[in-house]
Amino acid sequence: MDELILQVNHLSKSFGSNLVLKDIDFSVSTGDVISIIGASGSGKSTLLRCINLLETPSSGEILYHGKNVLSRGTNAPEYRSHVGMVFQSFNLFNNMTVLENCMAGQIKVLKRGKEEARQHAMEYLERVGMAPFINAKPRQISGGQKQRVAIARAMAMDPEVLLFDEPTSALDPEMVGEVLAVMQRLAESGMTMLVVTHEMAFARDVSSRVVYMNDGVICEQGSPEEIFGNPQKPETIEFLSRFRK
Amino acid sequence: MGKLAQLGLDIAKLWGKYSASYFSGMKNTLILALIGTLIGCIIGFICGVLNTIPYSKSDHPVKRFILKLIRVIIRIYVEVFRGTPMVLQAVFLFYGLPYFTDNAMRFSSVWAAAIVVVSINTGAYMAESVRGGIISVDPGQTEGAMAIGMTHVQTMTSVILPQALRNIMPQIGNNFIINVKDTSVMFIIGFPDFFAAHRAAVGASYLYFPSATVEMAGYLTMTLIASFLLRWMERRMDGSSSYELVQVDQLTMTAGTYRHPDKGSPFDERSREYADRDLREQAEKEE
Repeated sequence: MDELILQVNHLSKSFGSNLVLKDIDFSVSTGDVISIIGASGSGKSTLLRCINLLETPSSGEILYHGKNVLSRGTNAPEYRSHVGMVFQSFNLFNNMTVLENCMAGQIKVLKRGKEEARQHAMEYLERVGMAPFINAKPRQISGGQKQRVAIARAMAMDPEVLLFDEPTSALDPEMVGEVLAVMQRLAESGMTMLVVTHEMAFARDVSSRVVYMNDGVICEQGSPEEIFGNPQKPETIEFLSRFRK
Repeated sequence: MGKLAQLGLDIAKLWGKYSASYFSGMKNTLILALIGTLIGCIIGFICGVLNTIPYSKSDHPVKRFILKLIRVIIRIYVEVFRGTPMVLQAVFLFYGLPYFTDNAMRFSSVWAAAIVVVSINTGAYMAESVRGGIISVDPGQTEGAMAIGMTHVQTMTSVILPQALRNIMPQIGNNFIINVKDTSVMFIIGFPDFFAAHRAAVGASYLYFPSATVEMAGYLTMTLIASFLLRWMERRMDGSSSYELVQVDQLTMTAGTYRHPDKGSPFDERSREYADRDLREQAEKEE
């Protein structure tokens, strides 16, 4: 059951002379729900973007089922179709309706038939409660609704692992709940998820493992009980104390 | 008043004699402008897409060299054809080709020559417009497409270009209207457009001002109709500003709504989700 999907070894990334990720080691197995927490600028999003090859790491390797995807000759689009991503800014296709957004990838990338793609898309749109809005354009729906569609779009590709890059950070407070509820249900259904988040309650209640990043390195990781109940490193304690009120 | 009446009479006289020639001129002008703009747009799109293929330092040197070469060639094309008058380009091509090849190569008809000149000219302007249109699409759109595994070509054709096309629609309209007017310079190679009809009419009747009045009104009519059609097309591309709900969404609640239609029923997901919060809020109120 707990098969290793992704393994990150000695990953580093620098933008010019600015070292953003320093020697990251990290792995994801099936069914994991991993929350990555940490202050802004600690490299959380960059790590996620490196895993999806949206950024090219400076050194190190990313093994997907044992194969290094950073080596030359990797089919990056093919790899990305197995690793879904949900963005902070939604990035829904503005020229398509909600339904077309969820069908485009299936038809173009997975070469599914139109009817099959439609049924598959509807299944996930229903799960995120967006089935009524299939004819709407992205500019006509709210932020929370957009993010739910983005989750359905990523899920419709049947990815092995889903990356969330601060999915609720661009949302108004009253919309955060609906997106987190969808994500919680996904996690409970056994989806493998990697979530960069500032929602400490979500990290504590939903994830199976919490990774605390500080200044480009993984400072501490463990079960939610360990990290939130009994953090070891002074940086972790300092960071978490900011969220206790 | 007397002058106006005179003008009216002269126009009537011209119209009676040359209306067929004016009409065929209008038709030719519109056909040339339409075909020239369409082919020009295609050239512009090809140039714009080639111009925006991304490359990084880690790419193969040959690929980088070819991409750089393409950009230089397009740059030269744009600068040369944008920077010289269309009337000269027409003369240059129409008379230059037979001159250089000792009559072995020449345009078989003025139509072909005119279409080539107008298309190439429009293409030079459109290349820059398309590049601007592609750049103006939010980079997040590209990332969204890449994240679901689309290749560069798929991203371009199904996500970026449709949005870029909408963004540059006003530019395309501009070019079409400019082409309707500026094809009048094609009389230099003997193209039978609306302006050529004017030259033929005044050559025989010497009614310069009345014919010019007809021309002014004719061109304005054509461009006004074109503007109207272009606006209509833009509105159609934007699609409806409303949409139909397929059924009721169970998850969202509009801000301020507290009576939930499904309250208490087995479908009441909201109460289950927000039960804690509602209780807390109630407690706070009572304090």
